[in-house]
Amino acid sequence: MSEPLPPIVHVVDDDVSFLTAISRLLRANGFSVRTYSSAHEFLAQRDTDTPGCVLADLQMPLISGLDLQSALAQSPNPLPILFLTGHADIPSTVRAMRDGAEDFLEKRAPKEKLLDAVNRALTRDSRERTARERQRELRSLFDTLTERELQVLSHVVRGQLNKQIAADLGLHERTVKLHRTAITTKLKVQSVAELTRLTQEAGIFPEQISTFPKGQ
Amino acid sequence: MIASACLTLAAISFLTWGRNREAWANLFFSLLAGGTAAFAFCELGMMRAGTPAEFGTVLKWGHVPTWLIVVSLVGFARSYLKAGRKWLAWLACGLRTLALVLNFLVGQNLNYREITSLRHISFLGESAQIAEGVPNPWMLVGQMSLLALAIFLTDASVTVWRRGDRHRALAVGGGAVFFMFFSTVQSVFVFWGIIRIPITASLSFMCMVLVMGYELSSDTLHASELARRLQKSEAGLHEIEERMRLAVEAADFGVLIRDFTRNEMWASDRWRALFGFSETERLEFQKILLRVHPEDRDALQSVLERARSGYGVYDTDFRVVLPTGELRWVAARGRVEFDGAGKPAFARSVSHDNTLQKKAEEEARNLRQALAHAGRVSIMGQLASALAHEINQPLGAILRNAEAAELFLQGPSPDLEEVRAILADIRKDDQRAGNVIDRMRGMLKRRSLDKRPVEVGELVRDVAALVHFDAAARHITLDLAIAEHLPPVLGDTVHLEQVFLNLIVNGMDALDDSNGDRRISVTAAVDGPKSIEVAVNDSGQGVPADQLKHIFDPFVTTKPDGMGMGLAISRTIIEAHNGRLWAENRKEGGASFRFTLPVAEKDTAK
Repeated sequence: MSEPLPPIVHVVDDDVSFLTAISRLLRANGFSVRTYSSAHEFLAQRDTDTPGCVLADLQMPLISGLDLQSALAQSPNPLPILFLTGHADIPSTVRAMRDGAEDFLEKRAPKEKLLDAVNRALTRDSRERTARERQRELRSLFDTLTERELQVLSHVVRGQLNKQIAADLGLHERTVKLHRTAITTKLKVQSVAELTRLTQEAGIFPEQISTFPKGQ
Repeated sequence: MIASACLTLAAISFLTWGRNREAWANLFFSLLAGGTAAFAFCELGMMRAGTPAEFGTVLKWGHVPTWLIVVSLVGFARSYLKAGRKWLAWLACGLRTLALVLNFLVGQNLNYREITSLRHISFLGESAQIAEGVPNPWMLVGQMSLLALAIFLTDASVTVWRRGDRHRALAVGGGAVFFMFFSTVQSVFVFWGIIRIPITASLSFMCMVLVMGYELSSDTLHASELARRLQKSEAGLHEIEERMRLAVEAADFGVLIRDFTRNEMWASDRWRALFGFSETERLEFQKILLRVHPEDRDALQSVLERARSGYGVYDTDFRVVLPTGELRWVAARGRVEFDGAGKPAFARSVSHDNTLQKKAEEEARNLRQALAHAGRVSIMGQLASALAHEINQPLGAILRNAEAAELFLQGPSPDLEEVRAILADIRKDDQRAGNVIDRMRGMLKRRSLDKRPVEVGELVRDVAALVHFDAAARHITLDLAIAEHLPPVLGDTVHLEQVFLNLIVNGMDALDDSNGDRRISVTAAVDGPKSIEVAVNDSGQGVPADQLKHIFDPFVTTKPDGMGMGLAISRTIIEAHNGRLWAENRKEGGASFRFTLPVAEKDTAK
């Protein structure tokens, strides 16, 4: 892994006066800041891989903060978003938080709270970024499995015995055993428990992983 | 026969004149008819005369009724037709009088100097005597008088005809002229000895009398018909007068009549009471004006002046200050009548006490203002989040700038240029925030919420009185069930009234499409020791279950023309009172809007 780039705080607000003020404060606190006077401007200029977070005004003309949030979530660099508002009203707060906003602050929130929230967002970004990195690595590991091996794997992580897997897939029990050996070798794991954890971490078959194994 | 008929007519007319001394036409007619009768006797006497001397004597005396006939005919024409030249009348009468005098002075009579013999002839199957002798040349005077009479009558008839009364001109005037000429011509021919027939002038006179009698009696009939109608219309007038009086009394109107020409004023008792005058006090315009409130005097004067100077009507109201100091509003409405020269002749006016109406109007105006203000305040409440946002924007910028400046100044070598820029920005943002506040203050003007102990029952009744007419017009029954001895709540009357108004009006709207029981009931009762619960229930369709949660959100409405602000405002108000407002559907149908208000604690009124 290469040395991570310094994180950038992106501030989006249609109120230029506030934009200038908050960027001064953030810079004075040692953050790298970029300012945008509209969501549109931010979405157009943003580079795709720099770590950081977004500080956006909730009420903006044309593209509102909430619209920006959903656009951001679907992008390849889903930076955590922090909302700022003149006056928090409950419905939009709820929606923003439900959609994964890092925080929701009034524009006159105490400085400490604001800086904490920015730091938290950056930490979360770096955590999510590491997770995404690991996931990518795991995915490439899983990509070495054949179609048949993935099929067997999906049954294994559900806690089925070889006999059951053989019956379900119409294979000989011994063939299933061979596939399992190949899987554990390719994925460099020792136990079924480890295999299950890895599968889960990589996000393979997300819909099949249930808390309670089938049939119990 | 002629004589008796004429006498009867004469008697009737004479009686008529006796009853009404002004009826000169009847007197003259009666004289005319009498004269005709007398003349007829004379003619009869002549026809039956035995000797020439006897004939002469009768003829001589026959000139007396002739004189009477001429004079009364002139009189009749003058009094009945009201026409004819005076000098002609005098000429005819004068000549006839002269003829009468000559009749007794010259010769045997006016017609004959001497009657020599009588001749017996057969006339219309009867035997009659006619005279033969030397005609008296003075007879011309008599015949001239008849001619003058005929001319006079012709002239009178033409005048009447021209006046437009053609029927009367033809019947009376024309008839008289025709028969006059007829008898004149006959007498000329007979007395000058041209034809030999007995004198039958009474026949033509008789016809004249009949025609005139007919006219006169039809006039009498017409007059009696008129009298009957007058009587009837008088009765009608009386009835109308009674009704007017009843209406004026029922409406509690005072009536004032001013006669400009005689400078007099008359007022009904009610009017006098209204303006504080006793029943006997003499009224004068200046005195009345002094009763009018000084502030209203000029306006009233100019309204009256306008009516007097040709506009003709006025309708105004003003305050009257009674001698007791009591103030009352009076509404007056009047009409000025003008004489031929366009000067005001009469002014009639009705006035009534308008005080209650004025008071109600004033109260309604105050209430409307208060409600409008409350509405504004509430809408400001709704807009509070938008306003807070707007004001927090510059405040946030100020805060962040100040914090940044602090940090800059803490550094070892502060960038003073940067700090200066920050301070300029802070000043700018402060200005912005100030502008927002100024705008808000302008919209709010009055206090926002003034909490005092309020009697809920009184409040409900006030609002019910306000919507009473509206409810009645929409056939909605409004029931109030206010528990007795409710403790007062702490609240702002105007705001709480607006909530009630809102809920009741909403309820009424919900009943618009309901055909069943149209009823709104308002209940108020204690809800625990510290709170009162009020409910506004309607018998409508209720609120659809999926909308119950949202109806208090701003801009949510079920009405086609609703703003969706009423319930939102109401909830804001109730919550500002530390109460709760919610809605539920009743088991028996319809919706129930309920809210709680905290009871005013006795020691809160410091």
